[in-house]
This record gives sequence, structure tokens and C-alpha cells, in this order.
Amino acid sequence: MIPGAEGTSGLSTDTSFWIATAVFILSYATIVSERVHKTIVALAGASLMLVFRILEQHEAFRLEEFGVDWNVIFLLIAMMVIINIMRPTGVFEYIAIKSAKWGKGRPFRIMVIFAVVTAVLSAFLDNVTTVLLISPVTLLIADALEVDPIPYLISCALASNIGGTATLIGDPPNIMIASRAHLTFMDFIYNLAPIVVVIMVFYLLVIRLIWGRKLRSRDELKERIMGMDEKEAIKDPVMLWKSLFVLAVVLVGFVFHGTLHFQPATVALFGASLLLLLSGNKEPHKVFAEVEWPTIFFFIGLFIIVGGVVKVGLIEWMSVKVIELTRGSMLATSMVVMWFSAFASAIVDNIPYVATMNPLIIDMAHRIWPHETGLSLLQHADLMPIWWSLALGACLGGNGSAIGASANVIVVGMSEKAGRRISFVKFVLYGLPIMVMTVAIATAYVWVRYYILR
Amino acid sequence: MKAKDLMVPLSDYLSPDSTVEEAVRLLISAKRGERRTGVKGLPVLNASGKAVGMLTMRDILRAVLPSYMSLMNLGDFTWDGMLEEMARRVSGKKIGEIMNPEVTSVGEDAPLMECVDHMIKGNFKRLPVVDAAGKVVGMLYERDIFLTITKAMHTGQTDGHE
Repeated sequence: MIPGAEGTSGLSTDTSFWIATAVFILSYATIVSERVHKTIVALAGASLMLVFRILEQHEAFRLEEFGVDWNVIFLLIAMMVIINIMRPTGVFEYIAIKSAKWGKGRPFRIMVIFAVVTAVLSAFLDNVTTVLLISPVTLLIADALEVDPIPYLISCALASNIGGTATLIGDPPNIMIASRAHLTFMDFIYNLAPIVVVIMVFYLLVIRLIWGRKLRSRDELKERIMGMDEKEAIKDPVMLWKSLFVLAVVLVGFVFHGTLHFQPATVALFGASLLLLLSGNKEPHKVFAEVEWPTIFFFIGLFIIVGGVVKVGLIEWMSVKVIELTRGSMLATSMVVMWFSAFASAIVDNIPYVATMNPLIIDMAHRIWPHETGLSLLQHADLMPIWWSLALGACLGGNGSAIGASANVIVVGMSEKAGRRISFVKFVLYGLPIMVMTVAIATAYVWVRYYILR
Repeated sequence: MKAKDLMVPLSDYLSPDSTVEEAVRLLISAKRGERRTGVKGLPVLNASGKAVGMLTMRDILRAVLPSYMSLMNLGDFTWDGMLEEMARRVSGKKIGEIMNPEVTSVGEDAPLMECVDHMIKGNFKRLPVVDAAGKVVGMLYERDIFLTITKAMHTGQTDGHE
């Protein structure tokens, strides 16, 4: 027996259920097959949910329960605007060249520093942006040192997925989870950042084992790096100071947004508009044109598709199955969520995955604690480890394959353009073991911190 | 005047399967007018004589510039000898990989204004001229159109004075 929602506009409950489920499965299968661009699939699926009246338009556009999560959308847009204004100042070239010089031109030392810089930047910018900013410099440095660029590119992509796990704004799954569970920036810092630092240390040890002895360069080539003057990268110092000021404001805003009861999107939008004002930009066309609209519309479409299957009861049915599977044990649920998320995210995009899991977890919570509502339900002490497991699994799982995270896709594409193909298998050979190791560390952490020490 | 009246009949051209090194050699020695002093761009033709692309000096410069340099401002961080090294890397590539595959050609009877329209909108300095079967029969150069314009202005001015 399928748990029902109220019948929608003439269609029987049963028909709506099957139509919505078909649209959902068809959309996700097409996204995985990559036969059609994922944004087009998401928007087509969303429009079918509306055309078949699974969702009314006002539900899709205005209801938190079934519709688009505008908090996520505007947080993403605002952060993209800030980065688009910062990019031309040359600050990212400066950071990357400075890092290479700090590495004294020594190939492995540079790899470690690049990995750490990438991880830290990824924690505060989205991973795709970080990788787009670091990889070109990585390729340049590898050419300068006449070493194979592939280890650098792979290690950067993996580091960006690890670093992005640490904060609310680091990776889209975290943004989505934070918005649905009303978690704050500091919640992520307290709960995820410490373990991400530990994971990063292990990661650096592993890349040392893999590449530490293999990378060699000659002294005269090191001089090419040491001869670079990073100060030449700064094209617009005035704008740079303005950007850094706004970035500091935004960061402080994120730290206190919970205490001040502002949504993260409010903080980011304030920062973006402040920087637009300070930039004196009379033609903001370019800044807005560079926003990654395909990603934004991908999110919008997915939210509506998932809203449709939430409304007809598919998600509810799935949550009942999960509870049956784990027999209501929160520890078991937490471990299943962590590992299932990791492998699911290695195979499919973690954004549609988390979009589906969020309502599923909320529905589960409703079943387990039927008398709780609002924050006391969403942030129930026994539910919190599940959220953290979802975040850790979905973010770290991205490392499992060449298509597991957008950062990996970018790096593989860039390497191919530079004439150095990274095959799917080659990426998996490095990525999968590292994913399993990091998720194992995360599992131990969740188990010890939330189940043994509590 | 039409395209066929102003074009230079086809003499040198490239094949998409030749290497960049071969292309460079031909660009340097190709016929320009009556003498072999080199040209800045050549059409790339397939076996049946149809244009599948254009290869210019600029396309070769673009191929030598590493792909990562077009993604960020890294021009300040290059080194002596880098250009030569990259040039050696590109030399073995196929012309088909680096040519501009978006080729705009004009018919033999195309009016010159149509040719100028293509040149300005597509930023071309030369256009392949094709016969009815689509085979390239000649090349139309910016400079020759410019000379036609100069003549027209000159006669226009004398007409006005008379």
C-alpha cells in the first residue's frame, strides 16, 4: 500500500504517484546517462511536474516544503557575484604563484602546498571555482618544472572535495543541508571542520606515499619559479582591498548569522550588493553574465522534481523502507547514510542526491518523533549525527570517481585540453581508495563523537 | 565587380591530416602574387577540394599558447624559452586539430559587398571562393578589396570635380 497524499486536481492519488515517480526516475536516469545536459533535464522534469499538476505553480515557487529553496539559490548566486568581481583583481593568481614560490620550486613541496591552499579556498568558495582558479597555475608550474601535471591536477581535485566539506558554504550539499535543517555556519565549523583537518593530514600522508618520491626536477628549472614576481599578478589593488574588506564582512556575517538570526543567503546577498556598490561598476552586465546560470537552473529544476515526489509520497515510502532496514537504530541509520551517500555521490552528482535525501531524512524524523516540530524536530539531538553523516558522505564521496564531483570533471577536462588525458580508470585508481579512507575516518569520528562520547 | 574577378586563383592549400610543422613550412613559402614570399593564412581542403577549415598564422600562435594560459592572467609568469618549447610540442599535431573549422566561403559570382560583410562580421582577412560544386577555386584577400575601394573613391572624387 502506497502512502497517499491528497489527490491533485482530478488525477487519482495513485495516478499522481506513478506519474511523479516516473518523471523523477526518468529525469535522474537521463542525468546519469549524460545524453542531455543535466540542466535541461532538470528543467524539463520540473515543468512536467507542473504540467501534470503534481505540484501547483505556487507550491513549486513559494512553499518551502515542496518548492525551490531560494536560500540555496541566492546564496550560490551571491557568492558567484563576489568571486566574479574579485577574479580580475589578480588575487587568485597572486595566491597561487606565492604558494609555488613558498614551495621553493620543489615539486612535492609545491604539491602539498597547492593541496592545502586548494582545500582552504574550497572551504570558502565553491569547489568548481577553486579548481578553476588553481588548476591553470598548476599546469603552468608543472611545465616550468618539467614534471607530469596529472598528479598535481588529481591531488588538487581531491583536496578541493575534502576542503569543501568543512564549512556551510564549501560544497553545495552542505548549503542544501544547512538550509533544510536550519543549521548555521558555526554548526558546520564545530562539527565538520575539525574532522576535515584530520582527514586532510591523512590525505597529505597518502599523497606523500604515492608521489613523494616520484616527482623530481632540476635546480635550473626551480629558478624559473623563484624568478616569478607574484606582485605582478595584482592588476587592480584598489578593487582588491575593497574585495578583501567585503569578504571579511561576509565572513564575520557568516560567523554570527545564527546569533543574529539572519539566513546565510542574506549575508551573502548583502556582501554581493556591497561589493557591487563599492566597485563603482556602471555596467554590471558582465558580472551577472558570468554567474553559472546552468548550475542555478539545475538546482531550481531539481528542487521542483523532488518537491513533486515528496508531495505524492514517494519520499515518505522510501523513508519507511530506510527505517525498516535500520530497525530505527540511529547509529545504524547514520552509518548507512554515510556509506550509501559516499558511493551514491561517487556515481551520481551529489546535488540531486542530497536534494532527495533532505526531505527523506526530515520525513524519517517525523516518524520517529511524531510530537516534535520545528527546530526541536529538525535539530533533534539524535538527528544531528545523521545530518553530519549525510554531509560527510555526500561531500567526501565525490572523490570516488572522475564524475563524482564537478571539480573532478573540470580537472579531467582541463588536463585533456592540455594534451594530458586522465582516463576514468586512472582517476578511480587514486580517487576511490582515498575516498574509502576519508569516509572511514569520518565514520570513526561520527561513531566516537556522537555515539560513544555523548 | 564580383568575387571571381578579384580572387587569386588557388595554388597552395593544406590538408587536415598534415602536421602543423608542414603547415608552417607551406605558410612561409606559399605563393603570394607572383613570388613565393609566404602568406598569413591558407585554406584547408579535403580530398574532394572542399574547404573544411582555415589556418592562419594567428591559429598557430593560439595553438602554441598553452590552454591554461587563456583561463587566467598568467602572462607575467612565463620564462625564457617557454615559447620555443611549446612550439616543439605543437609541431606534431594535426592541422585538423588547430585549424578554424568555421569556414565561410563565397560563390564566384558573389558581389564584393557580400564578401566585405563576411569579412567584417566573421573577422576574416581572406575568403575561399568556391565554384558551383563547392570546390575552392581561389582566394579573395582583404587587401585586394581595399585596393578596389581606393580606386572607387579616386574615380568618385574625379567624377565629382568634373
